[in-house]
Amino acid sequence: MTGQATREEDCMSQKTRALSRRQFLKGISMAGAASLLPLRLLMPYSAEAATAFREQDFQIFRNACPRNCYDTCSIKTYVKDGVVQFIEGAQESTFTQGGLCVKGYAYPRRVYSPDRIKYPMVQDGRRSGNWRRVTWDEAMDRIAGKILEIKEKDGSLLGLGLTKYSGNFGITNYGVEGMMSSLGYTTRFVGTPCWPAGIDAQNYDLGDMWCNDPEDMVKSRYVIIWGANPAWCSVHSMKYVNEAKRRGAKVVVIDPIFTQTAAKGDVYWQPEASSDGALALGMARHILDLGLVDSDFVNNHAKGFAEFAAYLRENVTVEWASGLSGIPAEQIREVAEEFANADPATIWIGYGMQRHTNGGASVRAIDALVAMTGNVGKEGGGARYGHLRTWGFNYHALLQKQPEGSLGFVGAAGPKGEFDFTKGEAASFTDRTVNINKTAQAILDAKDPALKMLWVSCKNPFAQDFDRPKLERAFDTLEMVVSVEQFFTETVNNSDIVLPVTTLFEEWTVNASYWHYWVGINEQAIKPMYETKSNIEIAALLSKKMNQLAPGSCTFPQDIDTREWLEKEFNQGIYDYLGIKHWTDLKNGPVKAKLASSASWSDKKFGTPSGQYEFHSDLCQQNGHDALPRYKEGRKSFDEFRLLTPHTKFGLHSQFVNFDWMQEFNKEPFLYMHPDDARDKKIADLDMVRVFNKVGELKIKVKLTSNVAKKSLVIYEAWFGQGNDFNVQNLVDDESADMGAYKTGAPGVAIHGQFANVERV
Amino acid sequence: MKKKYAFLVDSDKCIGCFTCAMACRNYYHQEKGVVWRHVYPLNEEIYPHRERAFFSLACNHCENPACLNVCPVEAYTKREDGVVVHHQEKCIGCGNCIRSCPYGAPVYNPVEKRAEKCSFCHERLDAGLLPACVQSCPTGALKLVDLATMEPGNHVQFPPGFPKNDKVNSSTRFIMPKVPTMVRR
Repeated sequence: MTGQATREEDCMSQKTRALSRRQFLKGISMAGAASLLPLRLLMPYSAEAATAFREQDFQIFRNACPRNCYDTCSIKTYVKDGVVQFIEGAQESTFTQGGLCVKGYAYPRRVYSPDRIKYPMVQDGRRSGNWRRVTWDEAMDRIAGKILEIKEKDGSLLGLGLTKYSGNFGITNYGVEGMMSSLGYTTRFVGTPCWPAGIDAQNYDLGDMWCNDPEDMVKSRYVIIWGANPAWCSVHSMKYVNEAKRRGAKVVVIDPIFTQTAAKGDVYWQPEASSDGALALGMARHILDLGLVDSDFVNNHAKGFAEFAAYLRENVTVEWASGLSGIPAEQIREVAEEFANADPATIWIGYGMQRHTNGGASVRAIDALVAMTGNVGKEGGGARYGHLRTWGFNYHALLQKQPEGSLGFVGAAGPKGEFDFTKGEAASFTDRTVNINKTAQAILDAKDPALKMLWVSCKNPFAQDFDRPKLERAFDTLEMVVSVEQFFTETVNNSDIVLPVTTLFEEWTVNASYWHYWVGINEQAIKPMYETKSNIEIAALLSKKMNQLAPGSCTFPQDIDTREWLEKEFNQGIYDYLGIKHWTDLKNGPVKAKLASSASWSDKKFGTPSGQYEFHSDLCQQNGHDALPRYKEGRKSFDEFRLLTPHTKFGLHSQFVNFDWMQEFNKEPFLYMHPDDARDKKIADLDMVRVFNKVGELKIKVKLTSNVAKKSLVIYEAWFGQGNDFNVQNLVDDESADMGAYKTGAPGVAIHGQFANVERV
Repeated sequence: MKKKYAFLVDSDKCIGCFTCAMACRNYYHQEKGVVWRHVYPLNEEIYPHRERAFFSLACNHCENPACLNVCPVEAYTKREDGVVVHHQEKCIGCGNCIRSCPYGAPVYNPVEKRAEKCSFCHERLDAGLLPACVQSCPTGALKLVDLATMEPGNHVQFPPGFPKNDKVNSSTRFIMPKVPTMVRR
């Protein structure tokens, strides 16, 4: 890979300057325009400069993509006359390697899109579309007035809720949570719809979620990609998979959909969705039978292997796993044996496979498979899921103090409201926490006090939260909804006030990845467009207004500089980990953490209570699950087809797909279904169909393909922009996953444990 | 030896991610509806799985370019390194090139009322840089090659799905994709 790149550069440097100049002069004389050109262009040695790209014609800034994505690309932004001209990937990062993705390259359009929200606006009647421009002062007056009204009526601010997640992972954007704290004790939507079941599973097994450096996948002799689709969702990781393959590794892709990643593997398995645990355990049983267990690891670095082995012998067979998964027993044996014999071997555990009612249990089974073969703590090995090792910032923006005398919840025991408080115990108050994966139900259920006002930032609940029909009913009970956004999303449509927020090019911040180990600075490259403000500037403005109306009612600083606030996020620990002296060193390009080993857990000192890898986890049992990674059944079907609503390559949740630039390549959504099922339903390719279930329905065009398993429907999650009501959340309910509460505050959600029916319309 | 620059489209490495197509748009900001580089899924007769194998295509910078030959105002030039350049300032928007190119590379810009097409980023080539699309490709599936020195390999000029036209002698070369072993329930 590197060799090829070098050869290409050699090939480039061979170009002669004379040739280009001749070519240029020939061109202008043919144009008959030579006499019109400024004289300096005809001077010797300067002709080339007139046509060749010149870096010095631009101001170059460092940016970092703040989206919820494995790749978290380091960006170089080329600015001329205060305008972003184009962007590219930073060459310094071996991960980004000079390139972005289809989404990242659309950023210049995002900043200058005619659809961008330019000013604070107020909607007279939700979903009416009657938006009118207001000043920042008027917007803040209404918002602060409402907050004070709630405080006056309820005696606390628990009636004010915040829902925020991953729309912008720039570290200073945690100032939104800081803003809420600076107002008092409020209601927070906690947890994550993304990856919580797997996080808990890895914490029970290993004591943390901590993956190998993805760049060390090239050393793997066997790669299983299990429920992940990096060809769409982590394009920069594919070069490591390809390189491992080129060096002789076998690549097996396991996914209910024949994904683009699957098309690039050696072997593709299409198991029944949510049968992953059974498959992993079946493989584990076969490895046990063959005596291919790594005895040093299981005896010296693990707890409970004998018990796990007994469970496998008594309860698991390859045939049983085959029956549940649909993968032939012979295949399970073959891949299990190859995996156990390869050294090192690795499994990339995708977030998709844990979005089930048994997701955490399935991840534990796969972890066990990697551990029993001695592949944990090994370069080129590992049960790869994610990490947060490079996220050790100060969270200065996040950590704000409540105003003195604020009232809230007592402890985390549940909704007690202000009535249970004993005056003078303010220090023991907390926010009220509700499950982010049950946003609609939480809004409807909140009592004493009820939720009256919701602040939405870095999140689009109507696109990502579940049971859209219920969410609309829930929002309708709220007295005020404030959205901080860049586009008129469905959530904005269900809001009263929208505040225009900056893009990555318009503020300072810093970004880390949960997959690779590079950290990049995000410089302000251009002045904020229109009247946009960053999240922390909005917080400062609100604080100013709060204190005008009621002195002392908000502790958030009223005058801030995003560059200074970025600086406050750094500490010596981060500097040491990255091997830099000062954050400004990152202005020369992204930096990778100085890792003792590319492997996580290389010293085999695990973060579990026993300090060992725990096949048997008491903690897991205490939290209401099995101590062992036993098989747990998935969700029972409640309709004719399984419904999968994974990510599209053209967007990240509700971002990017709405741009006209993107719609040049992706004009409309489709349902994908198997041709055999279509025949039974008398549906032809490109027919319009209705997909429906107990939650709701949507109408959509169909594409027939055997990439999708029989009895499955696949629709990629996206928001196509204003005027298009396509939304997969009309079909997805809020059923919880098994795990997630331990580490993220709320269980995950069974996004892929969904079912629906389809008919031609 | 004279260079003969060309694109190598390695469909075995291509993941159909459209990064190249958007990198082009990011660099040139084409008008709505004007696309220089497209990513085309291969027909299921060529690759048996729908939308899982692709050719990323722009101008093929032909040896004997139809566009150049039919242009009445010499708006096209072919550089010595093989790059076919369209000089939009000379174009009168007659559409001859658009009708003549067997690959649909030149397209009509309704705002400028003239044709335009992939320039091979010759201004970047002249600065020793890669074309924007080639630089962007995350898997090395789209490459800049010099046909004058490229060693023989498994690449072909006219793969299935790509119109064969000996007369123009297109420069793009292709590597075909493989299919994995499929194990389904």
